[in-house]
Amino acid sequence: MSADPLLDIAAYRGQVLYVDFWASWCVPCRESFAWMNSMQAQFARDGLTVIAVNVDHERADAEQFLRSHPAQFRIVYDPQGLLPEKFGVRGMPTSFLIDRTGHVQSRHEGFRLADRDALAQQIRSLLKAP
Amino acid sequence: MHIRSFIGAIVWAAGLLTATACSTLGVKPWQHEVLARPAMALNAEPIDTAIDDHIYFSKEATSGGRSSAGGGCGCN
Amino acid sequence: MQLKREVSSLQLGLMAASCSLLSATARAQLTPETPTQLDADVLYYKESGGGGVQAIEPVVSLKRDFGDQRVLNGTLVIDSLSGPTPNGAMPSRKPQTFASPSSTSLVPEPGKKTTLYTIAPGDLPKDPHFKEQRVGGDLDWSQPLGLDNSVSFGGHVSSEHDFDSFAANLGGSHDFNAKNTAVSFSLSEEYDRIHAHGGNPVPGSDYLLYEKESSQTKTVSGALLGVTQVIRRNWLTELNYTYDRSKGYLTDPYRILSLLDADGNVLGYRYESRPDSRGQQSLYWVNKVALGPTVLDVSYRHGWDSWSIHSNTVDAHLRIDLSRGVYLEPHLRWYRQSAADFYVLYLSAARALPGFMSSDPRLADFTGTTVGVKFGVTVGRFGELALRVEEYEQRPSNQSSSLPQLQGLNLDPNLKAAIVQLGWRLLF
Repeated sequence: MSADPLLDIAAYRGQVLYVDFWASWCVPCRESFAWMNSMQAQFARDGLTVIAVNVDHERADAEQFLRSHPAQFRIVYDPQGLLPEKFGVRGMPTSFLIDRTGHVQSRHEGFRLADRDALAQQIRSLLKAP
Repeated sequence: MHIRSFIGAIVWAAGLLTATACSTLGVKPWQHEVLARPAMALNAEPIDTAIDDHIYFSKEATSGGRSSAGGGCGCN
Repeated sequence: MQLKREVSSLQLGLMAASCSLLSATARAQLTPETPTQLDADVLYYKESGGGGVQAIEPVVSLKRDFGDQRVLNGTLVIDSLSGPTPNGAMPSRKPQTFASPSSTSLVPEPGKKTTLYTIAPGDLPKDPHFKEQRVGGDLDWSQPLGLDNSVSFGGHVSSEHDFDSFAANLGGSHDFNAKNTAVSFSLSEEYDRIHAHGGNPVPGSDYLLYEKESSQTKTVSGALLGVTQVIRRNWLTELNYTYDRSKGYLTDPYRILSLLDADGNVLGYRYESRPDSRGQQSLYWVNKVALGPTVLDVSYRHGWDSWSIHSNTVDAHLRIDLSRGVYLEPHLRWYRQSAADFYVLYLSAARALPGFMSSDPRLADFTGTTVGVKFGVTVGRFGELALRVEEYEQRPSNQSSSLPQLQGLNLDPNLKAAIVQLGWRLLF
């Protein structure tokens, strides 16, 4: 993926990246934030970086969401929707797991409580790789 | 008369389906901020709709027709 | 994506059990912090003019998201109706006497119950003793199926003194085209038992003979096919086709027709008689457009059935969000219907009696208009209070006759109804 002013994947080489696309109007995103916080806290020292890309039209809506769902991970603001277009997002929310060499290993559409364990397992296996 | 109305309906529905299949209509999945508003749901007030349907069912010969599928935030 | 179920109403007021739409899931409202929604509403309905029914109807609904949009929805409705209801006969220059349907005999006899009422000359005959109570309940479940589909199913039961109804429905929908398009289908099946007060009359029989039969049944099978399409960021449209087939006892057991001679004098009365099957179809098209904080909901429906009834409906709501948490929603509805092929105002002795006949204003040629407004305010953090006030008026096309005795009499007066609904909602 080429260098992007909003999100430069290359800058995160060596880290496992969890890139999540979210919006204030996306109801499943409220559950995903709690889970992403726990993933970031649990695996930060192993090399996991969670980045949540916000696609709200109005910044104020995103900030209101963050007040009631604080994030302990990096937020990128993309109101024009350039990053989801680039990543080929087909539904909200969508998350991408990128390995330490900067390649997209998996995409996950939607966020369901039932999928949390399988997602955590995928993160662990990518973290194990050098 | 019934057959003609029925065929007309099929043509109408087919036209709409063709238009949608062309994907010239619609928005990107991350552009659902307005559609996600509760007031934009197709059956935003189910109790009001049910009460109205109940009243008009008792006073008129034709009833129902509405449903609610699609729209919304499109999440999950 | 539930299908509306046509549950026939026996009495002349708000008796039906229209149910499935109450349980349609509005996915936007429930959140992980507030997965439960409680709605408590009460409806007050009062007729004047061609009708006189009054109804009070409390409704309670509970909806809960069990995570990942698996939603259970339960509703309870209690209906209390009373007030003078037209019995189908024509006004006359002479007084007329009828027996309320709960009577088991037209003339006082030992061991039989007779409740009579007399109508003054010139008045539209209405039964003043009408009173009914109905209890109905709905339970529905909906959940996603895979990534782009959802499925739902539900059941309904309702009971009143003269009518029991049981129904089940099943539906599914599929999203595609990057969630811009959805197709949905729904199937429903309903079974009703009709056991009118005083017994079900033999359709078309002579009123004075008071011949009654035991309990009757009817079934309604329905199907719905729908397409939803996102047009723009602020514009959503849906097109639905529905087909419903009713079979069994479709006659109104309380309705009679006047049998008149060439001058318009009353010779007697006959119970009405309807065919034992009816196929109904409708095409419904709705558009929702957001213009800033305002949302316009406008729909058009065309209906047609095997009784030759054709109808057109235009319905529009404009939800105007005022300051924080306060909204106003004006409502306009226009309805036009053509009569059933067996609809007549009265029977003429000069002609042979038709096989099927009814003077039910519900099957007549008329225009119905509704004007109303709803006002809502947010209460606390997760509550809402709303008041809806509307007026419905029905104007029949055929209100007079050429018969001498009926001159100057209003045979089919306009029906007016006041509708007031108070609602309270809480999310928790």
